[in-house]
Amino acid sequence: MASLILFFSPSLQAQDTPDYFRQNCMNCHTVGGGRLTGPDLKDVTKRKDREWLAKFMANPKSVIDSGDPYAQKILEESRNVPMPTLPGLTKERLENLLDLLEAESKLEESQFKGLKISNKPFTDEDRALGRSIFLGTTRLKAGGTACISCHSMHDTSALGGGWLGPDLTNIYERLEGRKSLSAWLMAPGTETMLPIFKDHPMDADEINSLAAYFESSAGKSPADPSANRIAFLLMGLMGAAACIFGFDAIWKKRFHSVRRPLVDTAPTRGHE
Amino acid sequence: MNHFLDQFMFVALPYVCLFTFFLMTIYRYQMQSFSYSSLSSQFLENKHHFWAVVPFHYGILVVAAGHFIAFLIPRTILLWNAHPLRLYVLEVSALAFGLLTLVGLIGIVVRRFSNTKIRYVTTYTDWILFAMLMLQTISGVGVALFHPWGSSWFASNLSPYLWSIVILNPDISFVVALPFLVKFHIVLAFLTIGFFPFTRLVHVLVIPNPYLWRKPQVVRWYGRR
Repeated sequence: MASLILFFSPSLQAQDTPDYFRQNCMNCHTVGGGRLTGPDLKDVTKRKDREWLAKFMANPKSVIDSGDPYAQKILEESRNVPMPTLPGLTKERLENLLDLLEAESKLEESQFKGLKISNKPFTDEDRALGRSIFLGTTRLKAGGTACISCHSMHDTSALGGGWLGPDLTNIYERLEGRKSLSAWLMAPGTETMLPIFKDHPMDADEINSLAAYFESSAGKSPADPSANRIAFLLMGLMGAAACIFGFDAIWKKRFHSVRRPLVDTAPTRGHE
Repeated sequence: MNHFLDQFMFVALPYVCLFTFFLMTIYRYQMQSFSYSSLSSQFLENKHHFWAVVPFHYGILVVAAGHFIAFLIPRTILLWNAHPLRLYVLEVSALAFGLLTLVGLIGIVVRRFSNTKIRYVTTYTDWILFAMLMLQTISGVGVALFHPWGSSWFASNLSPYLWSIVILNPDISFVVALPFLVKFHIVLAFLTIGFFPFTRLVHVLVIPNPYLWRKPQVVRWYGRR
């Protein structure tokens, strides 16, 4: 019961505001480093008043759903990727975040200017390693879950990848290139991926390889998953049928009934 | 609103169900130990029985064991799934046993419904339980078919959530964004655990182990009915 009370109370963890920003915001935003999936937050408090910003940050989905024109504009500019609800966001933390953004905007160079993404061209080796990381054959160093668990690519063989998340065949274009894609992979921000990769982040080499693999799929069409689904169902049905036949064979001599075996084995009258 | 619904479904409800399970299971064993049985109906109808009960039990045992193993050793499951072929073998097997459970359960319900003698010995609690198990099996097979590959994402998302419940520090961030069907399956699983001590399911706790490999034998009742 104590844990229940603790859980329902507002979370006031010791984690400070810059760390919170780094973990939860930097995968989509920079301060003065240009837009990633979300807008550059430099001078955001000058663009919109604090009250609106606090309302939007507390529950982006409800503001978007309310039809607010500015929220719609942000959504459109973010290629219709809505901002996820932030975990453990208290009123106090919201105010701290807005203070931090104001302070960082005034600096010549913010600590949140963003990643330095390598400009080195992708090699075949990068692409092959990326594919192997995607499939899980090369394990992610920090123990993150392989992409295939929830995602598919145009060239994922046999029964394909998972369908819990979207097909990633055109993700390189959808996220508009190397910089945004790499920033996203630094700290994946969807509600399903965030808790997995928060404690098992990918390193720069892994991100580079994955970006290379995703770039190589540009222009390809995603695989049609319906054939895979049918094949998967048929294989399951065959397995189940095999088990049923197996049970009948194993317990062939089980007790069936009293009368029938007696009738079957009794000598038939009227014949020699 | 949704936040509180999630808190209720994935924090409050699991604890209520687990608490009920432990308390009532012990209480029933103390007060009515002889009611710890599934009350076999094989004596009343033996032909259809085999085709329903055997697939159901082997199906559910393998599927439940699979869930339990993924909960206990998620990293090992992920290691096994590190090669797509091994992942596919695990997923197809899990689906096969899930379908086996479904076929068996449909057989059980049809048998209980269509045979007058069996219908007479089926209680309201049994019918509620069958409905719950049916929905649980259908949603489970649905999850396997429409949200693969569950063996991997169970290990990375559901196992940490379930452990957070066990260590009394619930973290629902792992489950809030999962699809409706998966959430439904989780909630119904906890409800079934909570309902467990009031049903014929208690036989799971007192089962003689040789049941799994000995020849089926006909059992008759000594009590009323």
